[in-house]
Amino acid sequence: MRSVAMAMLTIREAILRGTLLFYFAVGNIIIAIVAYAVGLSPDGSTIRVFGNPVVIKNVVDLNPVDFLLIQLFRSSNFAVMFLGVFAVAGLIPSMLEKGTVELYLSKPLSRPSLLLSRSLGATAGVALNILYFGIAIWLVFGIRVGVWHWKFLVACLLAAVAFTFYFSVVVFTGLVTRSQGFSIMLAFLFWFLSGALAGREFGLYRLWDNVIYHRVLDGLFYTTPQVSGMLENATRVIGNNPFDRMLGPHAVADFTIMPFVYSLLSATLIFALAARYFSKQDY
Amino acid sequence: MAIVQTQLLSKTFRSGIFRRSRVEALKNVSLDLERGEIFGLLGPNGAGKTTLVKILLSIVHQTSGEAKIFDKSLGSVAIRQKCGYLPENHRYPSFLSGIQTLLFFGRLHGLGGQMLRDKAQSLLQLVGLRDWASVKIKRYSKGMLQRLGMAQALLNDPELLFLDEPTDGVDPVGRKEIRDLLKDLKARGTTIFLNSHLLSEVEAISDRVAILHKGEVLKVGTVSEITAHHLEYEIRTDKPLSDGVAQAIRQIVRDVRPEGNILHVAVNAKSDLNRILDILRAEGMFIESMAPKRSSLEDYFIEVIRSGDAT
Repeated sequence: MRSVAMAMLTIREAILRGTLLFYFAVGNIIIAIVAYAVGLSPDGSTIRVFGNPVVIKNVVDLNPVDFLLIQLFRSSNFAVMFLGVFAVAGLIPSMLEKGTVELYLSKPLSRPSLLLSRSLGATAGVALNILYFGIAIWLVFGIRVGVWHWKFLVACLLAAVAFTFYFSVVVFTGLVTRSQGFSIMLAFLFWFLSGALAGREFGLYRLWDNVIYHRVLDGLFYTTPQVSGMLENATRVIGNNPFDRMLGPHAVADFTIMPFVYSLLSATLIFALAARYFSKQDY
Repeated sequence: MAIVQTQLLSKTFRSGIFRRSRVEALKNVSLDLERGEIFGLLGPNGAGKTTLVKILLSIVHQTSGEAKIFDKSLGSVAIRQKCGYLPENHRYPSFLSGIQTLLFFGRLHGLGGQMLRDKAQSLLQLVGLRDWASVKIKRYSKGMLQRLGMAQALLNDPELLFLDEPTDGVDPVGRKEIRDLLKDLKARGTTIFLNSHLLSEVEAISDRVAILHKGEVLKVGTVSEITAHHLEYEIRTDKPLSDGVAQAIRQIVRDVRPEGNILHVAVNAKSDLNRILDILRAEGMFIESMAPKRSSLEDYFIEVIRSGDAT
């Protein structure tokens, strides 16, 4: 009851701050463009985008709908995460503002519960937007093309889960810095770090040929949310990823749940650290 | 029975790089609050009043010492279930209306349903905001926010109410209403911990007061106890004192100051009073009253703070 009240207030605060509404508006613009652009040829034999037939180069056995949805999903990933963080990153620092935090902490709600309900409210706002976006695109393809691509909905659900795990980093940075700006900057820094860690064999390892350094990078990879890994695997749910295929047969990989499992564990760890930090602070 | 007990409670804030900068906000504070009393905590700005309240509500953690509320150690959620708190400079979500604010904070207390709605309405009525119930609080004045804060603090019918500068920004009529409300709450058994730098306000309603200065408790007691001057009395007679009588009294006491029909005396022992009265009666004077001399709480407060600064 208490936690639900805090989560609901957080969603409401996010909406009224305008940032979540902006996020919603951007999603609607993309949906409208897709609805306008995607359609069938007059004889119903080919899928067209802005009147042009879909041409898949270098990949012979890929379904055009899979191809389009994968392209759309990949290209909107960054916007989803970027705008998502931007929309709700300020909700943790705003809870800590003088005059507000005292009121919340004086209520019969433990600090970890308060932090958890605030975080869930913030992520729920973004997750609902992602699901809304996913369902709308799914409907567009179903109505305009006649393909009801259930796996795309699952991919969107996984993207919402990925955002929730990623948000643990935003919660931690928001608590420590008490600043929306710093929190957003550190969240994006982490995004790039996550990508670099995922491809560490091809990049970061080569910077210094040292076993301890490599093990440290491995440790960081497994103890932090694997944002790029989660999104890549969410893409694979839709269909065989054309970008994997372009790299050659060796790069083609099946969907694996492991990035989500590792990210769940690391997000839990980061949240536990954040809760402990929050519990020890004076306000 | 003490509802709040603190023993040698201290708090040191550390800040700066490597946390080298230290501020001792509280030093060995030991206080007891009895059930059903209004306890006023006085002190100049920066004395540590708010820090003490925040420690009791687990918003700030003590550096050393112990405190118990309802015989439970601090930090228990169960304690906060029975407490109400009006912080200084409180900020509510500005997008909520008055009634929505109370419903939200009521839910944080675990209340809900029609009972909460009725409670919120009656509290808005009590603090004079019924007509403003549906108005967004960003349109409220400072005084109205203070009234709303008071209503918020009373949502759970608290057994212990912490008020930090409750009349800050409230007009004189509103102040009187808040004072009356606090007296009413006391009559219903609520224990009230009142932080204020408005001495007249504290003097008017507190059963006991403590003076806090630079984190230390300088004095605790009832208002009459701490404002009474030791062995100084005022004797009112039916006619002015003659010089001869004054001279006779000066043989007995350390200080005599006649002012018309009032005689101010500082005696060495209470038994000296009988001798003074005997002299006055022997002169055929009628004793209308005799009372220990008191200063206002404000005078006493300033004196204590100055002596605290001097030491």
